[in-house]
Amino acid sequence: MPTSRIPQYNSGDNFGMRLRFLGAKHVIGAPMKDVIHLCHGPVGCTYDTWHTKRYISDNDNFQLKYAWATDMKEKHVVFGAEKLLKQNIIDCFKAFPDIKRMSIYQTCASALIGDDMNAVAKKVMEEMPDVDIFVCNAPGFGGPSQSGGHHKINIAWIDQKVGTFEPEVTSKYVINYVGDYNIQGDAEIMLDYFQRMGIQILSTFTGNGSYDDLRGMHRAQLNVLECARSAEYICNELKKRYGIPRLDIDGFGFEPLSVSLMKVAMFFGLEKEAKAIIDEETARWRPELNWYEKRLKGKKVCLWPGGSKLWHWAHVIEEEIGVKVVSVYSKFGHQGDFEKGVARCSEGALAIDDPNELEGLEAMEMLKPDIILTGVRPGEVVKKARIPYMNIHAYHNGPYKGFEGWVRLARDIYNAIYSPIHQLSGLDISKDERPTDKGFLTRRMISDVDIIEDETTPSSEQPYTGEYDIVSKLRGKIYSSSQKQEKEYIIGVVQGGT
Amino acid sequence: MEDLMKDKIEQLVDYIMKWCLWQFHSRAWDREKQNEGILTKTMQILCEEPVELETPTYRCYWVDAVLLAKGFKSTYPWLAMMEKKDIKLLMKGLKDRIDYLTITGSLNKELSNPLY
Repeated sequence: MPTSRIPQYNSGDNFGMRLRFLGAKHVIGAPMKDVIHLCHGPVGCTYDTWHTKRYISDNDNFQLKYAWATDMKEKHVVFGAEKLLKQNIIDCFKAFPDIKRMSIYQTCASALIGDDMNAVAKKVMEEMPDVDIFVCNAPGFGGPSQSGGHHKINIAWIDQKVGTFEPEVTSKYVINYVGDYNIQGDAEIMLDYFQRMGIQILSTFTGNGSYDDLRGMHRAQLNVLECARSAEYICNELKKRYGIPRLDIDGFGFEPLSVSLMKVAMFFGLEKEAKAIIDEETARWRPELNWYEKRLKGKKVCLWPGGSKLWHWAHVIEEEIGVKVVSVYSKFGHQGDFEKGVARCSEGALAIDDPNELEGLEAMEMLKPDIILTGVRPGEVVKKARIPYMNIHAYHNGPYKGFEGWVRLARDIYNAIYSPIHQLSGLDISKDERPTDKGFLTRRMISDVDIIEDETTPSSEQPYTGEYDIVSKLRGKIYSSSQKQEKEYIIGVVQGGT
Repeated sequence: MEDLMKDKIEQLVDYIMKWCLWQFHSRAWDREKQNEGILTKTMQILCEEPVELETPTYRCYWVDAVLLAKGFKSTYPWLAMMEKKDIKLLMKGLKDRIDYLTITGSLNKELSNPLY
């Protein structure tokens, strides 16, 4: 443990999801894969770097494997830490000679003493011309919400870096895929669909994203936006500064995903390609989704995410997985997120803005949900209330995006609700009688009581049959898109639209 | 007659609120452009009129409009029975209602923030 008496605020535990630094570094900055993410502050500020978000990458998870901090102490607070920062930057590049890109993140301590991080970064870049450094000034005390950090880093990135690198454009159809952090491979699943259509993804903001690709965002024809809460700012600025339009999509759920793929395809005139993917994926995975839907019908769900899943999921988990959303909340959602979430909820759902623990417990008592979908920290409270919980920030066994991913979500909800542990955990061994003449009931013994196999429940429907790892096989995949490059998408007038 | 029109408008509003995201951009001026662009093009598609795709932004409006028109037609069979002049009236009423719900009647204070 660090010896410094500077308060070791870690970016999550003490502040829930309220820290601006967390919103900037841990949510948006750190998923960039080919970057040294240096935290300029006490070593404790790096605490949340490891394993709290599973934003994997295809370069052996470089950005997850290492945590870097300048390790500020009291003497630096008194005498300044710019020299320390400069030495740390140089040491980091020497320690990782293959990495030439760095993001530096301000913390409360370095912000309070007024270290000029931009000047230090500029000096190092002059001395080491082959490196490039991004500076993010979003200290924890800068605001009461991680969403403020999202905002800061979006604007900082477009101000400092977009337009400073010319990407290689190899397709007539070029997009930025924005607001996906590749949790357990979500972004890689979506990119596979786009590439199968023949679309080049210039950058992903920021899951599995490359620093230089993100400097070249200005060359895309379209910004495809997934999480508007965390990344609409950069899309809006790209529209304002470079005229690149923004198309909002839903990557979760069969119907919303099908519509979303078709929307992107229509922009470029690639409808046939999109339809082939939608038909193939739906035929493969819909029967397995149906298996879970029948067994989860009417189960009560509290959908308590951080931000965007409030509105990405509120309607579609009811429509396609069969559960009933009895409550939605968001810890850092804005008014706009509640507009969207409440609009998509069924009548009667309880919407709570930024609840504290007591309010959460009251809601559990009142609504008696069968499962709560939330983050890891409120999840611990939920577990103590003996209600099944699923981590929908870092996921359990994702990815959850894509057609197969949506079945994996249904599978995980099923496994959580029907887990035999709930029969056992309810017994108080100090006073309850423990039955010794029978074992516990398995999931199927509970869930299949009312299932009758007939024409509405065909035997072709079965539990998930996919592989444990569905992402690695996509890496290095060759896409044959050359035949699709002959098409020009229409700018002009069409009759009747279709 | 007026009540019937209002009821139809509310049905279309329900569809948009449940299945679309385009109406909830973060600033009032963006919402005005989105509502105008997409709902005008949806009306043109439903009335089988030419749709302009002069810019990439127009093309984005058109993409959402095509899917909205398709969703309307498949969800509300009564739309096919309406005459084009009535569809235009319906869509005008829908635009006014969506403008009210997402802009003029919205309690979202971020809508007027001059910066993104």
